[in-house]
Amino acid sequence: MASVLAALEQSGVATWIRESGVLYGYPLILFLHTMGLSTVVGVSAAIDLRLLGVAPTIPLASLDRLFGLMWAGFALTATTGVLLFVADATKHASNPAFFVKLAFVAGGVTALALVRSRVFHRQQRGTVLAAVSLGCWLVALTAGRLMAYVSEFIS
Amino acid sequence: MNLAHLHLLLNHVPTIGFGFGIGLLAASLIRASEDLRRASYVVFFGVALLAIPAYLSGNAAEFILETERELPEDVVTAHQNAAMLALIPMEIVGLIGWLALQRFRRWHKPAILVLSIAAFLLMARAANIGGQIRHPEIMAGGPAYAPSWPSPAAIGAAFVLDNPWVWPICEVLHFVGLCLLFGVVLLVNLRMLGFISGVAISEVNRLLPWAMAGLGINVITGMLFFLAAPDQYTQNSAFMWKMGLVLFGGLTLLYPALFEQEQGSAPDVPNAALIRKAVAACSLVIWIGVIFFGRFLPYIGME
Repeated sequence: MASVLAALEQSGVATWIRESGVLYGYPLILFLHTMGLSTVVGVSAAIDLRLLGVAPTIPLASLDRLFGLMWAGFALTATTGVLLFVADATKHASNPAFFVKLAFVAGGVTALALVRSRVFHRQQRGTVLAAVSLGCWLVALTAGRLMAYVSEFIS
Repeated sequence: MNLAHLHLLLNHVPTIGFGFGIGLLAASLIRASEDLRRASYVVFFGVALLAIPAYLSGNAAEFILETERELPEDVVTAHQNAAMLALIPMEIVGLIGWLALQRFRRWHKPAILVLSIAAFLLMARAANIGGQIRHPEIMAGGPAYAPSWPSPAAIGAAFVLDNPWVWPICEVLHFVGLCLLFGVVLLVNLRMLGFISGVAISEVNRLLPWAMAGLGINVITGMLFFLAAPDQYTQNSAFMWKMGLVLFGGLTLLYPALFEQEQGSAPDVPNAALIRKAVAACSLVIWIGVIFFGRFLPYIGME
């Protein structure tokens, strides 16, 4: 495992992202990562608020088109996330906050898929799912944001 | 032009703008005019937005002036604290005014009347102290500031610097605010652009107070970053761009509050649909720009 991570980290792409120092390298990837995540998390949170009783007169059917946008945002975040991971593979793989983040992103994405299939398409109540979704995104954001501090603390 | 120019340009706007807004509000009370009252709230909101760069550019002016001559440090500190003491009620007035324009219409009249006058007087005091930094001739009767007044700028800076957990927690909250603001703004703008259909714009607008909550969180956490490490920001051109865009992004939040209130009705002006789409497109570009310059801040603009 350790040798795989080290090999990833020493690959050409990873070295370029980490060391090239150009604006269209690491900073651009970081910006796209933020754009993707704020699209998924932000729109998902807005839908959760609607399910929790804010603006109850918005018909859910009118929001159905947003799922395509959210999956696009997620694809962007996941792709750029993989690039950011390989650039510092050994560092991130030894960071507990990174695994907390991954787990709660998985939870948030699962909740999102369930909101669509159960609440949007089968008209089930969505308050619990909405609360779980908001909670998952909050923990994922917190863990992601604190990764730098945790890695500094453990090293 | 440098940021000291910007401070000279902006530093009278909060006081004069709030004076103007209070005048409009008084006229609306005398003539019982809802239109004048709404106009005063628009002025309060706009001035509250402009007061932020007015405050921030003050630190930049200090940095530039310090390089050419010695400044009276106690007067500068007193000016900074007085400005922050006025900025807080000013932002609250802007927020209440926007909420009242949007749809929350309880208690706003007495709250705005009292707070706007308090903010005006406090800002006039801050301006008066600020004048003494470069114009000792107006100090004929001795210094006009009392060191015993509350010093929120110093308290905020100490809060961040003395507690190592505050900066990371603020970073987390800054992202929470970003997601709330961007998610709701994206939704509202996609409806205004016609990407979402089957729902009235006035219905989607009911989510907007949550975007404003996100903006509020980010103004507070952002201000704490700035208070703790002003030189990291005032010397950074990406930060200037970001703040300029926040100002215009904030102004675009007025559009749905003013023109998209009644269900299903378009604003009663020619080309309303086109204007709506243009505002929505601008708003999206502006907020994406805010995120762009925020993210690139450590990589560009540091000289």
